[in-house]
Amino acid sequence: MNIAHTMTEGQTTTHAWQARLPGLIGVYGIIATLVILLSVVAIGNPAFLSAQNLFNMSSQWAPAGIMAVGMTFVILTGGFDLSLASGYSLCAVIAAYVGQAHAPSVAFAAAIAVGLAFGLVNGVLVAVVRINPFITTVGSGFIITGVALVMTKNAAFLVDGTEFGVLGAGRWMGIPYSGMLLVVFLVVFGLILARTIYGEAIYAVGGNYEASRLSGMRVRAVVASSYVLLGGCVGLAGSITASQLSSAQANLDPGIIFDVLTIVVVGGTSLSGGTGAMWRTAVGLGIIATISNGFVLLDISPYYQSIIKGSIIVAALALDTGLSRLVRAK
Amino acid sequence: MVESQAAATRRQESSVAVRVRKVTKAYPGVQALRSVDFELRTAEVHGLVGANGAGKSTLIRMLSGASVPDSGSIEVQGTAMRFEDPRALRRNGIAAIYQELTIVPEMTALSNAFLGAVPSRGLFTDRRKMTRRFEELSEWMGFKVPPDAKAGSLSVANLQMLEIMRAVQADRDVLIMDEPTAPLGPFERSRLYDLIARLKQSRVSIIFISHDLGEVLRLCDRVSVMRDGQLIDTRPAELWNKDSLVQSMLGEVRTLPLREAQAGTRRSRLRVNKLALLGKVSGISFDLGEGEVLGIAGLVGSGRTEVLRCLAGIEETAVGHMSIDGADCTWPQNVREAIRRGIMLAPEDRKQQGLVLKRSALSNLLLGNLRGAGIGPFLSRRKRLDSATKLSKQLGFDPARLDTPALNLSGGNQQKLVLGKWLYCRPRVLLLDEPTRGIDLKAKREIFQTVRDLSDQGMSVILVSSDLEEVVEYSDRILVMARGKQIGLIEGHQTSVEAILNMIFEVEGRPPSAGTQS
Repeated sequence: MNIAHTMTEGQTTTHAWQARLPGLIGVYGIIATLVILLSVVAIGNPAFLSAQNLFNMSSQWAPAGIMAVGMTFVILTGGFDLSLASGYSLCAVIAAYVGQAHAPSVAFAAAIAVGLAFGLVNGVLVAVVRINPFITTVGSGFIITGVALVMTKNAAFLVDGTEFGVLGAGRWMGIPYSGMLLVVFLVVFGLILARTIYGEAIYAVGGNYEASRLSGMRVRAVVASSYVLLGGCVGLAGSITASQLSSAQANLDPGIIFDVLTIVVVGGTSLSGGTGAMWRTAVGLGIIATISNGFVLLDISPYYQSIIKGSIIVAALALDTGLSRLVRAK
Repeated sequence: MVESQAAATRRQESSVAVRVRKVTKAYPGVQALRSVDFELRTAEVHGLVGANGAGKSTLIRMLSGASVPDSGSIEVQGTAMRFEDPRALRRNGIAAIYQELTIVPEMTALSNAFLGAVPSRGLFTDRRKMTRRFEELSEWMGFKVPPDAKAGSLSVANLQMLEIMRAVQADRDVLIMDEPTAPLGPFERSRLYDLIARLKQSRVSIIFISHDLGEVLRLCDRVSVMRDGQLIDTRPAELWNKDSLVQSMLGEVRTLPLREAQAGTRRSRLRVNKLALLGKVSGISFDLGEGEVLGIAGLVGSGRTEVLRCLAGIEETAVGHMSIDGADCTWPQNVREAIRRGIMLAPEDRKQQGLVLKRSALSNLLLGNLRGAGIGPFLSRRKRLDSATKLSKQLGFDPARLDTPALNLSGGNQQKLVLGKWLYCRPRVLLLDEPTRGIDLKAKREIFQTVRDLSDQGMSVILVSSDLEEVVEYSDRILVMARGKQIGLIEGHQTSVEAILNMIFEVEGRPPSAGTQS
């Protein structure tokens, strides 16, 4: 008995690092990817690391980044939101429309309110009526785009006045407000996810909806709330973009949904819900932003850009999931 | 005869189907197998028993080629297994039937039976040949499912039959069955026993794994016991009995002492009057005392699980009257309402309904009351760790494993987490549905010890289990159910498994023939 016991302990120490290896790769694989990318771009063009460039990047990626914060919550609950790009355009249109006649703060508040409202509609449809999130948000996306088209008659709304541009383009000591907002969102919602009861509930519901329900959690409210939260983020993102451009239109940037999803998923948050983290979204954002900025700084032909971007995304995911599975299976 | 010539000749070549010599395997942190010697004779049913983590699964994984030994050798029909060549492994003729069945629910029974080995004529599948062979095998196995039935609509028992059919049609000489009877009712079990006997007659060798020792002793020719990665002993079944098996499995014997009968002296905790759930359950009335353990005995489908689900507020259409601690209240219409009244269910399906498998043991323990270890809206890491550690000690769960995802824990430890989740919420009435399914003896004892301790402190328990011996052993009173109705309420210490079964059969009549219904 004693001999057997010491043998087991001996085995434990020999293999301790092996046992932890999958976890380590899971955590550091994605960070390593970011560091390698940063190094490659920085060596290729030292201007990459200049404060000026980094600040510009933060401002440029603020809308997608802020929406990725909200999307992280939705994906963690096991959900999905495909109406995001439509909502983003509509909120920008609302901001520009209201901003033509009213103070910028009123305009942005209106945009965020609209964002929260369609977030609530999506949330109720998914969580209470229990329609599949993909179908729900494809449908609501069409409706939202339709509303924006009716409002604008497919023309751009232009806003005069410098005050309207402060949110998107204003700076304090060279640091863009929008970039600051992005960082604040990542940190604050990261803490909410990791350190609050609400965050724990998000993980539990996404990890196993039925078990959470039978444990007495308010599962519907938790799921719905994540869509509302994303709606708010979409409202703010739309406001920032409208402010940056001093204009908005119904088909602002349909492709932004892919940026947002890629940011969340490349970071390693699982589409099946229940696993992931906000720091992962931050790292994902870093990777995507660095790739895009790197193309410009390293003067890479646009023909090659999508090939490289796609390869890096797949490689990052392979490194994260594939490698850790390989180690675990051994 | 349904087996092919080739298979028959192969079997005659050797009287030992599988020989395992000095096999060793280490996983990170665990020595899973220590120099194991094991021999499976041709046409024998060989029982393999041991607590969870004893090394049974590792051994099986190797025999089926899913895992490679660190040292030692495995011979099948006299030829050494070559782990580097998956095709050679397939030719070995070993098929493993795990608890997690590998049936594709969207495909038909026919397609599932021939999955991975579809007979073909040129480029096309030979459907006629498939159907003919399916019918041949069905008859031989006593399996009554139409070939075009969707697999997803079949009962667990029939799915298992289908999986066995797949192995038989591929001429597998060695079948490994891992806990095949766990999800089955008594009649389905006897059907499986018949099939095993028939397989044996056609010289198939079987490794049979089960936590039900009575079944192992009845069914097997020889039984091997594993403990701590070692094969402790192999003997013919006649030379074992339950006690000696348990002793070998655990290395020591401990049993819970019977509790004194104290009925009549208890204060009423939960009174249920005329509980009904349309089409499932009706006329259930009982009075559960403070600190009492009430067992519900009945066959699968007798409505016992539904009674628990009604009590836990999961069945929204349940009607009936309930009073708790003397106060009348409406029937709980949702889970939160039941929990507020102190009624909590540890469900039958702990993986799907009890736990968030991706989360840590700690998160799962505190799942039922997230606010309990918080400061305002924030989680307090220290409070959480303190609470979870305290619960772990109460449950006999190793606190060093609190960070481990529930996914990586054994069935016994998972069940402890489900139990711990509710203990943390201080239930007045704890409902246990099949709390020991697929759990080894040691964990089973620890779970019942915890339940006993808590009921001694006044918590009331309702216990549902397919293992009637367990119900008789641990219950103060037993409610007997058949066909959704209550047919008796008897003192636990004055009855026996036989008496309860007789009561049930009187109502259920002849054992129903096994069909496609679950």
